[in-house]
Amino acid sequence: MEEINSINEIDWTDMLTVIVPMLVIQAILLIAAIIDLIRIERTNGPKWAWALVIVFINIIGPIIYFIFGRRND
Amino acid sequence: MQWWTLFQKELIENVRNIKWIWVPLVMILLAIVDPLTNYFLPQIIDAAGGMPDGTEIQLPEYQPSDVVMMSLGQFNSLGVLVIALMSMGTIAGERKSGVAELILVKPVSYTNYITAKWASLSLLTLTSITLGMIASWYYINLLFGDLSFGALLQVVFFYGLWILLVVSISIFYNTLFKIPGLVAFLTFATVILMGVITSIFAHVLEWSPNNISNYIQQMLVTGSVPSDLIGASLVTLIMIVLLVGGSVFIFKTKDMAE
Repeated sequence: MEEINSINEIDWTDMLTVIVPMLVIQAILLIAAIIDLIRIERTNGPKWAWALVIVFINIIGPIIYFIFGRRND
Repeated sequence: MQWWTLFQKELIENVRNIKWIWVPLVMILLAIVDPLTNYFLPQIIDAAGGMPDGTEIQLPEYQPSDVVMMSLGQFNSLGVLVIALMSMGTIAGERKSGVAELILVKPVSYTNYITAKWASLSLLTLTSITLGMIASWYYINLLFGDLSFGALLQVVFFYGLWILLVVSISIFYNTLFKIPGLVAFLTFATVILMGVITSIFAHVLEWSPNNISNYIQQMLVTGSVPSDLIGASLVTLIMIVLLVGGSVFIFKTKDMAE
């Protein structure tokens, strides 16, 4: 019971100011990475592996893809 | 005129490889993550099950200047790493793939080529850092206390110099080596090494560029620009000029085919 109470005490409007911007940034990174992955011709390594990395690793996944996954030549 | 064309080419390329989307977002994320987790630490501990009964921990009260330092601290470690990784291929990659030769067989001056690359990379990183600090500033005013916009501009100005130095170091190694991974490693290692040297010889190297963030904190606390910050900025500026000049010189003398 005590734990449930302590969770209810969290100020949710405060929490929203934190979580929403983080989620928005995360979503833009994810969408940008996916669109880029679809449009790009070749990646370093198989495309499906990068798709998994982008979708399943939070925040870091898309960044790793942008740095190491893209091929420019 | 030629410089402007090259600069535009660089900007378009950075838009195409979506650096203009992800670098600013990453910098914003880096800038706000520490202030937010520190502010919400009590709630986070509660939500994670809370402390055992009877434990008491004193959470420090953060001043706005402390929070600015949290953001700058993230920039100093992960931010520098992101810049090093993001810029590792600008010239080295083009030389490896042969694009640089394609450009430089035309009557393109080496000076223009290097400085246009440097300028476009600087514009990207400075914009990202500025956006990050604006996000941090927003949360500081919301959660911690007042920080004037003028103070924010001062922080961005002086910290921007330090970031420009990091970009210049990266460009310098880009002209020296062809392997992007090596360029990123050396850039990051150099910044770390400079930090170590600065802290070992702290009493001699008061104007070391690595001290800029410490002096920024001093500036925020006292409200006036410390003279050491001016000195450190001058040293940083000189190093930037030397590095960019050195890059052009090396690039001219170096055999492209090598």
